[in-house]
Amino acid sequence: MDSPLKQLTVNYLHKTCLAVLLLFFSHVSTAADSPVIAAAASVKFALQEIAKAFHQDTGKSVRISYSSSGNLTRQIQQGGPFELFLSANAQYVAQLYQQHKTLDQGVIYALGRIVLLTHKNSSIVLDEHLSAVNLALKAGQLQRFAIANPLHAPYGVAAREVLQQLGLWDLAKPHLVLGENVAQAAQFASSGAAQVGLISYSLALAPALQNRTRSLLIPASLHPPLQQSMVLLNNAGETSKLFFNYLLQEKARDILSRYGYSAP
Amino acid sequence: MDWQALALSVKLSLVTLIFLLPIGILFGRWLAYRQFLGKSLLQTILALPLVLPPTVLGYYLLVVFSPNQGLGLWLANTFGTTLVFNFEGLVLASIIFNLPFAIQPMQRAFASIPREIREAAACCGMKPSQVLWKIELPLAWPGIVSAMVMCFAHTLGEFGIVLMVGGNIPAETQTIAISIYDKVQAFDDHAASVMSFSLLLFSMLTISFTYWLSERSGQSHV
Amino acid sequence: MSDSAIHISLQQQQAIPLDVQLQCQTGELLALVGPSGSGKTTILRAIAGLYQPLNGHIVCQEEVWQNSAHHVFLPPHQRHVGLVFQNYALFPHMTVLENIQQALYDIPRQQRRDQAFELLKKVHLQGLEQRYPGKLSGGQQQRVAVARALARRPKVLLLDEPFSAVDQVTRRKLYRELLSLRQSLAMPMILVTHDLEESTLLADRIALLHKGEILQTGSPGFVSAHPQTATVARLMDQQNLFTAQILDHNAQTQKTRLRWRGIELEASYQPQFPVNERVCWMIQPANVLLHRRDRPSNGDKENPMQGKIIEYMESNGLAQLLVEVDAELKINITINVPLHVAKRNQLGLHENIGISLLSEGIHLMPHQALRREV
Repeated sequence: MDSPLKQLTVNYLHKTCLAVLLLFFSHVSTAADSPVIAAAASVKFALQEIAKAFHQDTGKSVRISYSSSGNLTRQIQQGGPFELFLSANAQYVAQLYQQHKTLDQGVIYALGRIVLLTHKNSSIVLDEHLSAVNLALKAGQLQRFAIANPLHAPYGVAAREVLQQLGLWDLAKPHLVLGENVAQAAQFASSGAAQVGLISYSLALAPALQNRTRSLLIPASLHPPLQQSMVLLNNAGETSKLFFNYLLQEKARDILSRYGYSAP
Repeated sequence: MDWQALALSVKLSLVTLIFLLPIGILFGRWLAYRQFLGKSLLQTILALPLVLPPTVLGYYLLVVFSPNQGLGLWLANTFGTTLVFNFEGLVLASIIFNLPFAIQPMQRAFASIPREIREAAACCGMKPSQVLWKIELPLAWPGIVSAMVMCFAHTLGEFGIVLMVGGNIPAETQTIAISIYDKVQAFDDHAASVMSFSLLLFSMLTISFTYWLSERSGQSHV
Repeated sequence: MSDSAIHISLQQQQAIPLDVQLQCQTGELLALVGPSGSGKTTILRAIAGLYQPLNGHIVCQEEVWQNSAHHVFLPPHQRHVGLVFQNYALFPHMTVLENIQQALYDIPRQQRRDQAFELLKKVHLQGLEQRYPGKLSGGQQQRVAVARALARRPKVLLLDEPFSAVDQVTRRKLYRELLSLRQSLAMPMILVTHDLEESTLLADRIALLHKGEILQTGSPGFVSAHPQTATVARLMDQQNLFTAQILDHNAQTQKTRLRWRGIELEASYQPQFPVNERVCWMIQPANVLLHRRDRPSNGDKENPMQGKIIEYMESNGLAQLLVEVDAELKINITINVPLHVAKRNQLGLHENIGISLLSEGIHLMPHQALRREV
């Protein structure tokens, strides 16, 4: 009855229970002090720096969940625990305001830009009106073109606009590779899996991408303005409100401009 | 290395196991020993997660537990909590998704115990609870262990459902699988490769250990 | 005066048809005999509580185990039964000693070990306490199963074909052990077997089962010699089974005369069958005498007939002969003679011999269709 196997298993179970109980309590405490912020994938690197500075200045921390703006909007509608939302456009914020999910109408905190991006070693010539890309597409030399999914990513919508304005949409459509959000699209293009991509300027300026890609700013006239908006949500607490204000202050603005964002 | 994500993944796996162990034993045993009307329907339903894409299950969980209507609304009003985009929601999703991985091996394990042995135990004077504890569980143990291993490994690697029902919230629903995905999108290949390799090692160690454990117990009753 | 016997009455129609009434006294060994599918194991399982027939009434040592009329049904763990399963059903993850101890949990821990050791000694397995069932021979496993059944201090000992899984030599050894063990057991014992020889060797009484019904009970010898019907005779493996017509009954000579295919036979007085009625009759090989050329006897005069040996088999100290009495009608009679007699009388295939059917041994039964009408 006291087989060694039984002893071993009982021991194992004991340790497991203890571990689980400890983890449970650790979980409870984290949730309390650090609110969750929903942020568009395009603002990832800029926001990480800002959050670090925020922590240094105030001692408080935030947790950030990145995805496409559309996806985050859906999650907020379905009761996600977010307290602040940074969207890559103004429409999603307006939508949430109308659905009474927000404290107020929010604010446009920056303007975003789009770049044409390709891997450093690729032979594709980058020009503002994508003429080289046009030729490559017609010659069948370009297989995959990465953009964010227009269904739920503002940068994807903007990319589509650009292509339509340049008359390249129908030509490029069969070659499009849709990133779930603009960061994934950037990853496709920067790794070479897609020969070229239209992604956010802020991501192209990330150190990791700078090293291995070439990019070119696309004229802002080719797409509707990318109004980066943010809004406090209904359950926003003190820290979130602090962070919201911090984002409008000088230090944050500096960081944002370093990542290609201009004042609204 | 995202230790927080790893800890969260391990925690999710363990908590899921804690629920699935009794559920698996209960249902596995019941299905192994009894015939009843509707048994095949029940078995079909319990086996659904094997073939169902995680997104389908995720979709239905979102629909059912969204706090804007129905059950989700009632939960929010009564308990002030939700079961979406938090750890508890992940646990629920994980339990449902792992049901066949828990129940089927345990059902086989219980079914493989010859009926006569359980009857002999009853004739020895053992109450049904004693038969379970002294005879059935020890004999079914290797099957139970392998079921738990499956569930642990499966939960550790679960991605689709976590993404749909959990979102990507650090320390809450950002499991290691999600974290790896996240790191790739942040162009942090180094971190992604370190975590992937560590997870690979961790999984191999866990599975080897538990197979060793079940082999040892298999030897004691040749 | 307390009744320490077990009384069983079971009826049901669906699933497994059953209609039996049985009794077994303390110290008596009752064998349930019959072909497979006759319901023997079902009855045993019903006694143990592992099967619940629709209508049952089981009382053991004045304890009511089942009473369908009053919705009483005691589950197996509340009955004190000792059941030895056909494949022993030993717990594979426990040692021999632990196996036996499982049935001893109603006594204090200190005494449990000692009791278990005692029982092991009783079945001649001392020294094997720490072995696992996987490492035991069939005979050893059987003994552990018996010890475990006895450890329960059962009110009835049930054995379900416990010797079927071992070889001949081991089986004989186990028979002897069971018989000697019996002396010390004060409980009814019910053995299920399809082996007639086994039931003859071990049982005080047998109950012959056929399709869920008991055809006849009695001592093995009696049922063999006096089957109530031809079905019973066939189930008891009686080779010499024929039909005949009653000629007359003579109360003075205490004889009944039959006509068997042109041969007149004299049987013992059995007037319950009307004259001219067709009957079945049988005679055991032991009641067929060989006319010995060297040593004629009075028995030779009873129902004498000539025949030719058409089959000759030697087995176990006996010569089994199939004697063809009428070539045209092909009547054959099986007789057994000791081997030395066969040798001395130079018996062999195609030899002509004389045989006699002892009147005492001709047993009459109601007529029923036989597989071969003879």
